[in-house]
Amino acid sequence: MSFLQALVNGALAGAVLALPALGFNTVYAVLRFPNFAIASIATAGAYAGWIANVLWGWPAPPALLVAFVAAGAVGATTDALALRPLRLRGPLTAAIGSVALDLLLQNALRFGFGNDPRGYDLPVFRDWRLAGISIGPQEVEDAGLAFITMTALFLLLRFTRIGKTMRAVADNASLAESKGIDPARVAWIANGVGFGLAGIGGTLVALDTSLDPLTGFRVLLSIFAAAVVGGLGSIPGAIAGAFMIGIGEELSTLALAPTYRTAIGFLAILVVLSFRPRGLLGERAY
Amino acid sequence: MLLAAEGLVCGYGAADEILHGAALTVRSGEMVAIIGPNGAGKSTLLKAVAGMIRLKSGTIRLNGTAVERISARERARLGIAFVPQEANIFPSMTVSENLEMGGFLEPSATRRRVSALFERFPILAEKKRTTARTLSGGQRQVLAMAMALMVAPTLLLLDEPSAGLAPLAAGQLFSAIASIHREGTAIAMVEQNALAALALADRGLVLVDGRPVREGEARAMAADPEVRRLFLGQQDLPLAGGSAPGPTPHRSTAIATRPPDPSGPGPHPLI
Ligand SMILES: Nc1ncnc2c1ncn2[C@@H]1O[C@H](COP(=O)(O)OP(=O)(O)OP(=O)(O)O)[C@@H](O)[C@H]1O
Ligand SMILES: [Mg+2]
Repeated sequence: MSFLQALVNGALAGAVLALPALGFNTVYAVLRFPNFAIASIATAGAYAGWIANVLWGWPAPPALLVAFVAAGAVGATTDALALRPLRLRGPLTAAIGSVALDLLLQNALRFGFGNDPRGYDLPVFRDWRLAGISIGPQEVEDAGLAFITMTALFLLLRFTRIGKTMRAVADNASLAESKGIDPARVAWIANGVGFGLAGIGGTLVALDTSLDPLTGFRVLLSIFAAAVVGGLGSIPGAIAGAFMIGIGEELSTLALAPTYRTAIGFLAILVVLSFRPRGLLGERAY
Repeated sequence: MLLAAEGLVCGYGAADEILHGAALTVRSGEMVAIIGPNGAGKSTLLKAVAGMIRLKSGTIRLNGTAVERISARERARLGIAFVPQEANIFPSMTVSENLEMGGFLEPSATRRRVSALFERFPILAEKKRTTARTLSGGQRQVLAMAMALMVAPTLLLLDEPSAGLAPLAAGQLFSAIASIHREGTAIAMVEQNALAALALADRGLVLVDGRPVREGEARAMAADPEVRRLFLGQQDLPLAGGSAPGPTPHRSTAIATRPPDPSGPGPHPLI
């Protein structure tokens, strides 16, 4: 595979990875702990998208909307039920709880859908060939949908009242509360939006690879690496980090066996935490 | 009585107690200056009234309603606007967005109040698209106070509004506070610049070690030799270097606002 081909593949993968990374950072920014349950919540979103696409026969865009709503609902509800009491005991307690929650959700999905991989019902196109590079129309469409979703998030945060209150809580939760903003309500919304993005991301990942109970878990390290590299809690950071990890993983396959590609995420975390703990675009160190 | 807080006991950990029976009363439309040495618990007192810290005991009544058990958010709904000493802005948001969040509870008035505040504090208009993080310390203080004025508070709690301000800017801020007070807003203000604060206020409260040690009419308090001794000891000790009475020139430019006119005797012209 050529360098250019790896670069293109990496950029397309990065665009998809950006969605769960954005979700992870949105949740982190508002709730101030890393919610690792994002892996199985993304998988849950992918199954919801699968139900809409295969069982109901819906095309991709509305199926992604279903994935958004389902994953957002699962993420926000499980947070309120299981993790909210733990948050009071500190971010580390909540983070550990989220790992347990992830395993619980993963097994619930396994119970409901079984271990066998499922496929989506989408037309298969032949790859485009351009100057020696082959590009899959499906990947391009995925990246396009990811880009539209990112733009929607940006507009939400920048221009709407609810988006601004999310940023206010992320900046200074106690000041926000003293201005009359309800932190519990903002937490619900941030979880709904953040995990909704993860649900779309999970569906796009599943479209690209396969859908089984471990779909989200397999990309968890990449998601976490993108978030840490870009800066925990940073929205532009999540996007930058996702492209770096996506491209880095693809480029690594030029030199190493594909089984080593996950090491890229780990390496990136190691390097960033050693030299720039707040990440590329993060505002504070943790 | 607009605010009647009594017997406040609270601290930051399970064991420590910072306020040991502090009290604060504010009549409607009144301005109270809270003074006292560093670490006396002045900020803690305001936080307790605003609902940012849980009380171990004590009562807080706002217009006769007990509010000590309700959240900071609900107290904000009842008209308490709090400007903390630190972390009093949203750093990653623009000046305009900060003002909008300040007016979260009264969104329909946002447009009108933002333009009124831009007129009152032109620096905010000039910096409206600036990220608040990049403001200077003094500009931040102005923004923090303006955010509290985005609602029409019945009680404004100000924690050291002049901290870090150049004399001219502090004077401008104090005159803005004075005019907010004249318009009828009740204010409780903590200030290091004790005599400047007493000059603006109707009443003063001296807090030492979490307890009210003196309370009274501001003008009389500014002239009180005991209070003056306390604050001379606190403010001028490192520079006084002796017992010689008389003008201390380094203080004369400290603040450029309505100098108090103490009617009582006082050996040191403090301002
Ligand atoms: N967040 C906190 N956690 C623990 N202790 C605190 C905290 N804030 C204040 N304290 C302690 O409470 C005491 C009173 O602090 P407070 O900030 O109320 O004093 P202050 O009168 O406002 O002082 P200053 O004039 O320096 O602002 C101090 O001994 C301080 O160490
Ligand atoms: Mg203080």
